[in-house]
Amino acid sequence: MADRRAIATAARLYFVYATRIVDARAARSTGRGRELPFLRLRFPGDPAIIRRRAKGASLGRVGRRAVDGVWKEHERRNCASRGGVCPPGGGVPTGAVIILFSFDYIAHYENQNEYYTMAVVFLGAMMGLVFSSNLVYLYVFWEITGIASWRLIGFYRGKTDVLKADKAFLMTALGALVMLIGILAIHGLTGTFDLGAMKGTALPLGISALLLVGLLSKSATLPFQTWLPDAGVAPSPVTALLHAAVLVKIGVYVFARLFLSTFVFDEALRTIVASIAGASALVSAGAALVETDFKRIVAYSTVSQIGFIFLGLAMGNALGAAGALLYILMHGLAKAGLFLSAGIVEQNAGTKEITKLGGLMRSMPWTAVAFLLCAFSVMGIPPFGGFFSKYMVISAAVKADEMVFGAVFLAGALLTILYLFRLFTKVFLGEPHGVLAPEKSRLMVACVVLLAALSLVGGLAVGWPSELARVAISQMLGVAG
Amino acid sequence: MSDLLLLVPFVAVVLLYLLPKRARTAGLWIAFGILALETAAAFIDRFATIDFGLLAPLGKLLGFHLATDGLSELVILCTGLVGMAALLVARRTLEDENEKFLFANLVLVAVVGINGIAMVRDLFSLYVFVEVTAVATFILIAAGRGDHVFEGAWKYIFLSVVASVLMLTSLGFFLLSTGGITLDAARTGLAANAPLAWIAMALFLCGLFVKGAMVPFHGWLADAYTAAPAPVSVFMAGIVTKASGIFALMRIAQSTLGGATPGREILLVVGAVTIVVGAFLSLTQTNFKRMLAYSSISQMGYIVLALGGDLRLGILAAGLHFFNHAISKSQLFANAAAIEKQLGTLDMDEMGGLGARMPVTAGTSAVASLSIAGLPPLAGFWSKLLIVLALWNAKEYAFAAVAILASLVTLAYFLSLQRRVFFGKPLEKWAGAREASVGLLVPAVALALITIALGVGFPFALKILMGGGA
Repeated sequence: MADRRAIATAARLYFVYATRIVDARAARSTGRGRELPFLRLRFPGDPAIIRRRAKGASLGRVGRRAVDGVWKEHERRNCASRGGVCPPGGGVPTGAVIILFSFDYIAHYENQNEYYTMAVVFLGAMMGLVFSSNLVYLYVFWEITGIASWRLIGFYRGKTDVLKADKAFLMTALGALVMLIGILAIHGLTGTFDLGAMKGTALPLGISALLLVGLLSKSATLPFQTWLPDAGVAPSPVTALLHAAVLVKIGVYVFARLFLSTFVFDEALRTIVASIAGASALVSAGAALVETDFKRIVAYSTVSQIGFIFLGLAMGNALGAAGALLYILMHGLAKAGLFLSAGIVEQNAGTKEITKLGGLMRSMPWTAVAFLLCAFSVMGIPPFGGFFSKYMVISAAVKADEMVFGAVFLAGALLTILYLFRLFTKVFLGEPHGVLAPEKSRLMVACVVLLAALSLVGGLAVGWPSELARVAISQMLGVAG
Repeated sequence: MSDLLLLVPFVAVVLLYLLPKRARTAGLWIAFGILALETAAAFIDRFATIDFGLLAPLGKLLGFHLATDGLSELVILCTGLVGMAALLVARRTLEDENEKFLFANLVLVAVVGINGIAMVRDLFSLYVFVEVTAVATFILIAAGRGDHVFEGAWKYIFLSVVASVLMLTSLGFFLLSTGGITLDAARTGLAANAPLAWIAMALFLCGLFVKGAMVPFHGWLADAYTAAPAPVSVFMAGIVTKASGIFALMRIAQSTLGGATPGREILLVVGAVTIVVGAFLSLTQTNFKRMLAYSSISQMGYIVLALGGDLRLGILAAGLHFFNHAISKSQLFANAAAIEKQLGTLDMDEMGGLGARMPVTAGTSAVASLSIAGLPPLAGFWSKLLIVLALWNAKEYAFAAVAILASLVTLAYFLSLQRRVFFGKPLEKWAGAREASVGLLVPAVALALITIALGVGFPFALKILMGGGA
């Protein structure tokens, strides 16, 4: 088990590192785009590190240097990479907890190799995406996450499982392809794929809309949300990894990257995004209220919460953007906890149908408490981490004089409280239905408890993460920070 | 060097027949060796300039001369790789020694034709070599054993005859209007906007559309690929159709059309229609090889579409897609051969869960499928990106959008193929199925590795390609 973990970590680092090498070499060997300007693929790649690599270094040292290099880039480089701290900051530790959880969860199924390989590829691609400063590379990593999630969702080989995996892949691929048209249009407009070089460009609304289709489909926002609840057929750690911690945040992150720090974010687009986010938050919260499948409720809750993140970004002020980044982190932690609790319940009780569950508080006390704590964070109850991010996002709407949006999202927050309490009551309180299944795996429970504790600590010591978000945002928006 | 590429396979065919009957088992390996040399030749620096003059007298007599450039190298490389894969598949799937010997011989004959197509510089010789390739291919298909062999071969012959007539007529018109049939003479005629020259060009293009199975002349391809024995479909899908139809189009677009508007528009429309129709036809298939065949039609549409874009980038993109598709599609047909050998059927409705029994076949086919569907970081993504970029640079926005969105349909049918064949619950019926033998896995794994390596290390490959001067 320990070696599997080591391999997972090493492979992830190596993947990031390898892409950096290819990048830096490409930039040099094509010699500043003699023929094809887009091949000046600039990445935060430091040739000095690569030269040292040539002298021969062990995998561990290489990995450490990759991390060093990435970190130095952050010290030195512009906003975009700085903003990148938040998603991996939230995604990687959460991802590690999730992988830990799956050691027990996955242990009695087939295709474990595929599972771990794809999980590592997925996280590696996520890192690559965060650190690429070129639209082509962004797209490359974007689609690699798609391939990995296709295989992860299709982990069980039943007929519907495989179909749902294809559905998720096709819907996100549709979005990505539309986005690719947008990327080509940007290239036609600016003559470059380099994000740094196109800074400050004012995009026509049509091109922004093309990009938006891709971002919304990856983030499972209205009207592309249906694949996400369906993908709940996947094993719980996969849903946690994809739907809570990382995958759906990619869309939001790239949105921030493109529209906050690169292009001019015009008024019309801002209103469109905020409206879509509002509708998405309310509709999916309503869906979560009536669903009876444990994981589908949590999945709809994710769709709804993503709306809040988009709202924060669409408000266009520093408060909203910082709130959104904080939201990515806090929601990732808490929602992963909810999905993993769902996994524990599902695996031990043998069903995810909440009408057939009840009274599990007695047999699963730790899971129940951890679930409740994570749920508090998602609801936005102080002093949990989720409170601060939700507060910042909604107060940003008020600050931007968008009272309607503020009200809509307050209603969304209320619905969040309703459906999460409903879920908790049905599953953990009340009269037991059938057998009271015990918590079998200590490791799995420990993971959930850890996530719950992090959600609480993240709120109590909110200064540290919000400082991170503030610095990232001040650099992204170009304000002296 | 270029003359050797024609003479060596030709002489080898003759010599193979002089072998005593007992030694004929070596036929496959001799052909394999020749193709390995051919692959190596593509990597020799400036091999174009080395000419032993062996064909000079013949050239003087018939008025043709050979010249190689980056595009020729590309075809020669693909021929070598695909041919070797086909021979390896033949070794494991053809049962009769005599069949194997015949296969090796005919592959060498076809290689003479393909090498000729790659290097000639006039339309008449192009036509002759296209016919040489076609004749070898007819026999290859017809030598199969299935029920539909006759139908497949017959459709191919019949439509090829139509193509020949079109091309011969066109040659006559070219002689009338421009007084010459070299590519340069044709170019001059077209540039002067001589109506007869344009009619001649349109006829020649139509002939090549038949050979390359462009919609609406695609009727023969699915039957031919499906009916052909496994190694023949590997060889045909990998290189034959592409060299005799698509490569000839690339050559003409590069040296004759020169970006002139009417020619460009023909290529754009035919390419786009082929992409879409081929992809949707593929979506409805239930036979493994038939789905791959329609997918081939669609993907060759991409190559033709690229030729209608920005000329320089378009040719490069077309060449790259040519290579990627040759590699990935012949690999998928090799996967099909492995499955057919295990199950005895290619009906996808009867399959399911084979991934558990044949993990290597499943994994390699997923790589090829995703590459053809244009997903990064595999090779197919880069060539498609270059294609749409070439179109976008030529301001053909609508065609670029069609090309991009058709990728979704491609992805859809490949996902459906993967789902029906490899994923899903393992069926009781195929409990006896095992992973294919090493002999069949070697070509599949090797080709899949090429796809991955080219995708991940694409910038280096591009540098070589551009240095090679397409």
